[in-house]
Amino acid sequence: MDQLLKDIYAGVIDGQSALVQEKVKDALASGLNPGVILKEGMIAAMREVGRRFEEGEFYVPEMLIAARAMQSGLALLKPHLQESDVKSAGKVVIGTVKGDLHDIGKNLVAMMLEGAGFEIYDLGTDVTPQKFIETARSVDADIIAMSALLTTTMTNMKVTIDALADAGLRSSLKVMVGGAPITDQYAAQIGADGYAVDASRAVSVAKSLLSH
Amino acid sequence: MRLKCIGCEVLARAIYLCAAQSPHLVDVVLLERGLHNTPAKLRTQLQDQIDASAAQGYDAVVLAYGLCGQATAGLISRGVPLAIPRAHDCITLFLGSRQRYQEQFQASPGTYWYTQDYIERRSDQGSTLALGLGSDTDLQTVYAEYVEKYGRENADYLMEVMGAWQRHYQRAVYIDLGVGDGTAVEAYAQGEADRRGWTFERMAGDLVLIRRLLYGDWGDDSGSTSGSDFLILKPGQSVKTAYDDRIIDCVDLS
Repeated sequence: MDQLLKDIYAGVIDGQSALVQEKVKDALASGLNPGVILKEGMIAAMREVGRRFEEGEFYVPEMLIAARAMQSGLALLKPHLQESDVKSAGKVVIGTVKGDLHDIGKNLVAMMLEGAGFEIYDLGTDVTPQKFIETARSVDADIIAMSALLTTTMTNMKVTIDALADAGLRSSLKVMVGGAPITDQYAAQIGADGYAVDASRAVSVAKSLLSH
Repeated sequence: MRLKCIGCEVLARAIYLCAAQSPHLVDVVLLERGLHNTPAKLRTQLQDQIDASAAQGYDAVVLAYGLCGQATAGLISRGVPLAIPRAHDCITLFLGSRQRYQEQFQASPGTYWYTQDYIERRSDQGSTLALGLGSDTDLQTVYAEYVEKYGRENADYLMEVMGAWQRHYQRAVYIDLGVGDGTAVEAYAQGEADRRGWTFERMAGDLVLIRRLLYGDWGDDSGSTSGSDFLILKPGQSVKTAYDDRIIDCVDLS
């Protein structure tokens, strides 16, 4: 592998935002293919970050700074990427449910999904069912991802899923849920398609939801 | 009756007051408020206390806890009945009803709740986070650790991201329970609100749920879809999350 790609890969894993930006500039100047920088430098690095998180080597702070480094490199790369360089893994509309203002986990999931090649439409916090529906419709979303931190707000996941059904959208997209009080059983009970225990596993869940 | 009350220390004054006035004989065990951050650990400690009480000659065990981030889900009653208020967290117990908390939550989800015991019993020197949510970790210590591990620039970013949810908050409420002198805590809450640009409100608390819990006045759970104010477990039953207005429910273990 090209040394610059190795540096970008290592820089993302170490959360070295400034270094990643510098190396991405160098890589572009040296004529490296932007699609290759993206895939072999950054997406591969985020996959490794996810692996280390699942192994318990990385915690949330390491994930956050790695994702930030990835995003800062991606911002420089984006103007140079061709349509053919980036095959979107899918469109994800993401937000915390109505009444819930806690978004660290949601942001991390959004960054990990972005790092895995998904297109993210982040609606932020306290998102009404109507807002999820409107956005899902306008961007033709593949996945709606909802998070809740509180047992007081988690029931709004079911409200949103029911509203999607009423709007006739339920069968055309997948719903995944997560957050501290959420469990597999709860996800199944409210009719969600997927649940992930953390941001890293959210990536594999999202991929598997769209693979069949 | 002989009752054993296992409660969170954020309810200390309320529990002691109602225990003193109860027609029953009440023994009180308080657990640390910081356990809220680790629901599995809290559950283990609660279960240990429940298990120990089986051989201590009580007629019932009462929990001054809510669902508390699912910490009480999975608890098993041993030997004697177990009574638990139907509440998401202590804010319901301070306000006196699920409905009142629900109204407050819907009107303003971004609310920091302050009470006397909660502030008095904090263990950190740094900023205090919201009731029912809080992490007690000293922010300065965390920051120093981040700087050392990830560099100052990343540390600044992490503090901003980790604390970002606080910016969504708009209101501080001091709940006055009318027990003890809360003047200093109220002034502290007011100061926090001013510092962060939140509105400040003082709200009268209502000890009715704690009183009924310790008076053995648990009501009848039958005939109500939302359940009465207390869940009563028979020996050998387990608590489960209800995911509706009942908040918690019981399940037979067999």
